[in-house]
Amino acid sequence: MKQVRSLVVLATLCCIGFPALSQPKPPPAEEPGWAKGRPKSDVAMHMAPVPAFPIPTAPDKLPTSKFKLPPGFKVETWASGVLDARGLREGAKGNVFVSSLFVANKVYVIPQQGNHQPKVIIDKMPMATGIEFHNGSLYVATNTKIMRYDNVEDKLDNLGEPKVLYDKLPGGNDHSWKYLRVHDNKLYYAIGAPCNICDPGQYGKIYRMNLDGSGIETIASGVRNTVGFDFDPKTGDLWFTDNGRDWFSEELPNDELNHVTKPGQEHFGYPFCHQGNIPDPEFGWGKSCDEYVKPAALLGPHSASLGLTFYRGKMFPAKYQGAMFIARHGPWNRTKKYSDISVAWPDGKGGARVETFMTGFVENNNYLGRPVDFLVLKDGSMLVSDDHAGAVYRISYGK
Amino acid sequence: MTRRAAGLLSCTAAVALALMVVSLQVGGQQKAPAAPPAGSGPRPAAKAPAVTPYELAAMSYAQRFAVLCAPCHGANGRIETPLTPVLAGQPSLYVITQLFLFREGRRSNEAMTAVARTLTDDDLRGFSEFIGTLPPVTPPPPATPPDPIRMARGQALAEQHRCVFCHGAGLGGGQQVPCIGGQHEDYLQASLRGFHSGSRPGYTQAMTEAVSQIPPEDLDTLAYYVAQFRGPAAALTGK
Repeated sequence: MKQVRSLVVLATLCCIGFPALSQPKPPPAEEPGWAKGRPKSDVAMHMAPVPAFPIPTAPDKLPTSKFKLPPGFKVETWASGVLDARGLREGAKGNVFVSSLFVANKVYVIPQQGNHQPKVIIDKMPMATGIEFHNGSLYVATNTKIMRYDNVEDKLDNLGEPKVLYDKLPGGNDHSWKYLRVHDNKLYYAIGAPCNICDPGQYGKIYRMNLDGSGIETIASGVRNTVGFDFDPKTGDLWFTDNGRDWFSEELPNDELNHVTKPGQEHFGYPFCHQGNIPDPEFGWGKSCDEYVKPAALLGPHSASLGLTFYRGKMFPAKYQGAMFIARHGPWNRTKKYSDISVAWPDGKGGARVETFMTGFVENNNYLGRPVDFLVLKDGSMLVSDDHAGAVYRISYGK
Repeated sequence: MTRRAAGLLSCTAAVALALMVVSLQVGGQQKAPAAPPAGSGPRPAAKAPAVTPYELAAMSYAQRFAVLCAPCHGANGRIETPLTPVLAGQPSLYVITQLFLFREGRRSNEAMTAVARTLTDDDLRGFSEFIGTLPPVTPPPPATPPDPIRMARGQALAEQHRCVFCHGAGLGGGQQVPCIGGQHEDYLQASLRGFHSGSRPGYTQAMTEAVSQIPPEDLDTLAYYVAQFRGPAAALTGK
């Protein structure tokens, strides 16, 4: 990449006759990764990623009563005061683990019994975002390393030092936070593209490793930034959300819902092709969208589709059993904001059908809350984390 | 003692007094809000602001700003005391992120840490929303005209390092990004050097990444340029 860039610079200099010799001017610094490709229009120049608000919304000001769901469903505030609540995972002894991203630098535990007060179990750990619970251990991934805390539920007052499984993640800021799943004794994670749009090299892929950190394999390529994936309990196939490139236009491209059918062999398009049918204006030259796996469904322009969870419970009606819940966190680089929880069903032909499930996160084009991740509890109800309001909601059906 | 240093000292003393009132108020909030127990609890020295804790609790954040913030930062959010940043024109989201960092102990400054430690979530919100309404204040004319060579060098550095990418063409900021145009040079210099050395944490990594490769002398030139910057848009894009 560096070489290519210096060649381009050299070529440019040759064409314009080395004006640099007469008037030395240092090259502009790299723009921030998120700003690559941003148009110079005034509206776009005022858009930038907005980090989560630094204090949780007071319990009586949460948007819970404004949420709208299909008939028979109800939603309640399950926990409040959970600053920057991102990932949700359940322990084996009645504990819910909650991770955070840029703001809190914490991992919390919330016991299901009692008044659902969050207790900080990991603190001062930037980007402690990827979490997974498996066989008594809590896996935690930051942008630089993957760690494991064994027997975590017996040591909630003092977790002690974790075992470091892998410390060679590339770090950085753009799309470097993690989402984790354990499936068939393999730990799945992704390394997002280090930019809005660029040649991602060994970034932009979903990987898996053995539970001791060995045996890293590529599972999917051409993935810009997935912050949600899960395995279909019926087929064992991996499904993932992918956040599409920014700054192409307000309405394009869509985020993608993708379906991995040949692990390790598929390329999902980034940075060459977006949403299965739009060649990138820069990287798409000489490429065809037909060379890449098409998305199973489109999830809306700049929708920031994050957490994805197959509903494995029994409480919701049959229609929802085996469906995927998807948290559409909502756009930052789009004039009109939107955010919801959607639900998608595999159509059996490689694609998926998507429906809106829960709305009410946006009022007067402002976010009241933004959903991130899900956790289906043993009783079949489903928790939803909200990093904007710093809360966890519980969705149930029936009485 | 210089006049500026004396100003800094008296402002710190005022914060100490104001904080005594606030700590009384916090204590009062935790107890049942019955009638004020006459003469109970430690009383601040005779020169404390003439408000009781109960009056303070009933104050708007505009009034609390006047008691707690204005002694150091100026009634209109701009004061020429050393190392005291201009609050006028700062976006409320930026303000709340910084109050949060002070309260969490991530960003450190003796006076601000002491103030922020006493603030509840509602206070963070109330103060930042009020400060976000303070209109930008035109800086006083400089004692000596800006050095055109240094200004030109600063402008080139600002372009090279893409300050306007986040701070806007008028350097007026917005959302979590502060208004820097016309900010005090000593404060800008300390901030940039702090981001560079890692001693000043940001709410995001943006500034650390932006300045990590810039030599300190260039940071100082940037601070000089940005402090003297009087872009026409600065006053218009203050929010």
